[in-house]
Amino acid sequence: MIGATSVAAALQAASPAPAPGSGIFSSSLLLSILVWTPVVVATVIAILPNPRGRYDTLMKQIAFFTNVGLLFILWVAYNQFENFLSNVQYEEKVPWLPAIGATYHLGVDGPGMIMLILSGLVGLASVLASYGIRERVRSYFCLLLLSQACVTGAIVAHDMFVLLLFWGAATVPLALLVLGWGGPRREAAAWRLVVYWGLGTIALLLATMAMYAAAGTGSFDMDVLLKVALSPRLQLAVGAALMVAAATRLPLFPLHGWVRDVYSEAPLGVSVVVAGSASRLGAYMLLRVLVSGEPIGAQLLSPLLAGMAAITVIYAGIVVMRQTDLRHAAAHLALVPGGVTALGLAALSPLSIAGSVLSLLSGGLAAALIVGVSATLTDRAQSRSLNVLSGLASRMPNLSWLMLFGVLGLLGIPLMASYPAEAMTFFGSFRNQPVGAFAVAAGLAVVAVGIAVIVHRVLFGSPNPDAPGVSDASLGESWYLAIMAGALLWVGVFPGGPKLPGTDVPIFDPGVVNTMAAGITNIASPYVGSGR
Amino acid sequence: MNALVLIPETLVAGAAIVLLLAGRLGAVPRSRRPYLPAIVASVVLVAFILELWLGGTLASLFGGGFVQDRFALFAKAAVLLAVGTAIAAADWGAEDSLSIGLAMPLLGAFGVMVAASAGDFVGLWAGLELAAAAGVVLVGLRRPDLGLRLLVAGGVATGLLVVGFAFVYGAAGTADLLAARRVLQTAAPTLPLAIPVLLLFGGLAVRAGIAPFHLASVPAGLGATPLGAGLVVGLVAAAGLVAAIKIAAVLSPVPEVLSPWLGVVAAVAMVGGGAAALAVRAPRARLAYLAASQAGWVAAGLATHYRAGLGGSLFLLGAFALAATCGPAVMGGVEGGEASLAGMGALRPARAAGIAMAFLSLAGAPPLAGFFGEFAVAASLAQSGHLELLALGLLGSVLSLAAALGTLRVMYIQSPPEEGRRATGSALPTVTSVSAAGAVALCAVIAAYGIFGNPILGLADQGAEALGLR
Repeated sequence: MIGATSVAAALQAASPAPAPGSGIFSSSLLLSILVWTPVVVATVIAILPNPRGRYDTLMKQIAFFTNVGLLFILWVAYNQFENFLSNVQYEEKVPWLPAIGATYHLGVDGPGMIMLILSGLVGLASVLASYGIRERVRSYFCLLLLSQACVTGAIVAHDMFVLLLFWGAATVPLALLVLGWGGPRREAAAWRLVVYWGLGTIALLLATMAMYAAAGTGSFDMDVLLKVALSPRLQLAVGAALMVAAATRLPLFPLHGWVRDVYSEAPLGVSVVVAGSASRLGAYMLLRVLVSGEPIGAQLLSPLLAGMAAITVIYAGIVVMRQTDLRHAAAHLALVPGGVTALGLAALSPLSIAGSVLSLLSGGLAAALIVGVSATLTDRAQSRSLNVLSGLASRMPNLSWLMLFGVLGLLGIPLMASYPAEAMTFFGSFRNQPVGAFAVAAGLAVVAVGIAVIVHRVLFGSPNPDAPGVSDASLGESWYLAIMAGALLWVGVFPGGPKLPGTDVPIFDPGVVNTMAAGITNIASPYVGSGR
Repeated sequence: MNALVLIPETLVAGAAIVLLLAGRLGAVPRSRRPYLPAIVASVVLVAFILELWLGGTLASLFGGGFVQDRFALFAKAAVLLAVGTAIAAADWGAEDSLSIGLAMPLLGAFGVMVAASAGDFVGLWAGLELAAAAGVVLVGLRRPDLGLRLLVAGGVATGLLVVGFAFVYGAAGTADLLAARRVLQTAAPTLPLAIPVLLLFGGLAVRAGIAPFHLASVPAGLGATPLGAGLVVGLVAAAGLVAAIKIAAVLSPVPEVLSPWLGVVAAVAMVGGGAAALAVRAPRARLAYLAASQAGWVAAGLATHYRAGLGGSLFLLGAFALAATCGPAVMGGVEGGEASLAGMGALRPARAAGIAMAFLSLAGAPPLAGFFGEFAVAASLAQSGHLELLALGLLGSVLSLAAALGTLRVMYIQSPPEEGRRATGSALPTVTSVSAAGAVALCAVIAAYGIFGNPILGLADQGAEALGLR
């Protein structure tokens, strides 16, 4: 309730107090720096001489400090973000291909800044999670940095051409990472990723082109393209294509076919990136294009989206209960936050949309945490089978705590970031999508049962004497998981940011809910006063 | 002053003739031969710069038979860049003859330049034949049987083209492209016009190696030397596509006849090429099918039948010519299955990067040249209401991307075999400073093509405008 109240207040407040120091730093290229720095560093890593892997550690350090640097820039940007303005900030706009109306247009609003924070945290965690990579280190970190750049680029894109470019480009490095460093079933995992994400890219491109052709403005700029009022029929068609694109990426049932293989076969750092930030792009794109730009289509398709969200959560719960492989179970658990986010977008009320945006952050962190912790745990326990893993809490205390954080974060327990997110989503959804909201809630109950069974067996059951030897997480593993667990807890405890005692002045974090509120008012405006 | 625009053509054709004569007379001392590729690449680079410098002048020479406009400027610049990069990046240890290996790509480029500047059917035909003949020579040098096959297929294409030209000439009463366009502007889309359209584009499809008319060009490309493959898969196809764009502009008054047929051909090429690329394992075959698929995108742009579509096709043609010509060249003597590329990323990083860029660009992967070109065509397809063609093209691109990723996986992820166990025909390319620089240049150009796409697409758009479309 605390979170919901804070957000409601933030949504109504015209001018929340800015963080101290806001306005000191500004750069017209800030977003370009965030997007292109990883590309430049990846190129540098690619051409650095590395005879017999002598500088492998240096490569890892370069990738790590690049992410630390980017996170610092992001933190500055987050603090400088003027959260009482609803327009796009840090905007960059340069004509790219004027002949077809493509512009290099970047910018972020509140939801975009939330996604950037998620991407930054997950990026750092993924590099830390990848410290154990021993083979072809140079290629690995090159591709990892490129995939991070693609995710960031898709977040800040304010032109459909730029969005498509980064959305499509993300597939290449991620598929190669799975192919090159994945588990025994890596080939199947990589091809599934290519096929599903390729299908999603086709759908997004078709939707974009349909809007472009119908609008007749000759521009891919979101400011132009999404402002044109299309016919309801076309909005429905475009919306359906956008939903397919989002459902392949987020993913939602029935387009979730890549999840199990990719999350269980991909190398640890890649699983974290995909589960944490790359897959959240599906819901973010839906928010940015469908909910924000095609309100009639969004309203017509909202029951379908709510249905997909409900089926996804229920399906995940049922599969988790029947699983015998911990990583497969974690892969299906990672579907749950996407279902909650989709429900919030389907409900189309300001509060549910705000809940969805917050659940992008909390769900991304929780999904990455649960996928990451299960992968680390199964590595450390030398088994993935739930028939073998048992009673690990006493022998793996760090991982057990982190796993508990992950599942609690997934379920939306108070003091976790997912609590205000889910509270807002459900409060905002029960009026507009009662059946969907009830079904998602019921699905969460099924998921909770599945989680309880797994946690009880794996962590607190009687130790299995026949199981292989186990060891707790290393320092690096603990750190990468703790970053995500800590962020979940921080946002859960301080959704509005910590304040100087007795004042409303934020100390160093202006508050996630204050920041995200900046753009939600605009996005939700078509749905205010329409009976929703 | 107008005659200055002929300097690039003169340089290229002159260099080719000098090389052939020098090779025949043995005029180049053995000690100097290693420098020859760098010298020839430099000559082509000079021709490229001169083309950009002088080619901006609008000119009409030889009684209208040679036209220098923005279309010609774009096509010629693209083909010169492709040939220069291919010559620099080629593995000359894998070529059978230095002088012929250097001369034929130059003659092929000259053929494309003639076709691009052709003001009438004769010039168009001559340019096409010149480019195709260069391909036949280079293929036949190593595999006479495949050279013969290419020659026969080329003969069929020529037959179709000549009959088609004759029909159009009969209908329009002139061989001049602009005059024919003016006459046909008022013509109704009747059967007598449908026949030449079908014949012309049938012939051009065979020339361009567009699936399913690739039955001669792909096998020929597989058996040829690396540069020979690049010549057949890239340059000769580019010549066919340049001619197709010019003819599509001439026949613009009869889109009802043209568009559906081109749409079908484009769809088959885009999806079929992508599927075939996924089905085969040999890297050179895969590249040839990827090229066939991207050629389908160029044809799709023609099916839109308006300026933006032709501009997009021309923009994509530049990306296509670059990747399809340089891809086989940079692969060098790797002729076996995909295992022959295993570990190339570690052993030959510059070449591996060049191969990867060529494959990904032909597959239309963002953010490389092919993606920008295909996006420009996709935008024109959407604007002209060809969403079904667009969907099929995207399907073909996903198939192509999966195929390209398969090759990248082998290069960067598989461990290299021990040198002693390396199969025959899978020798790694020899690295020289020139070839490494060529491979790096290929990467840079493919990456920069889209990033600095504004002036390039602008020029392509002006090129389409020069053909008289609105």
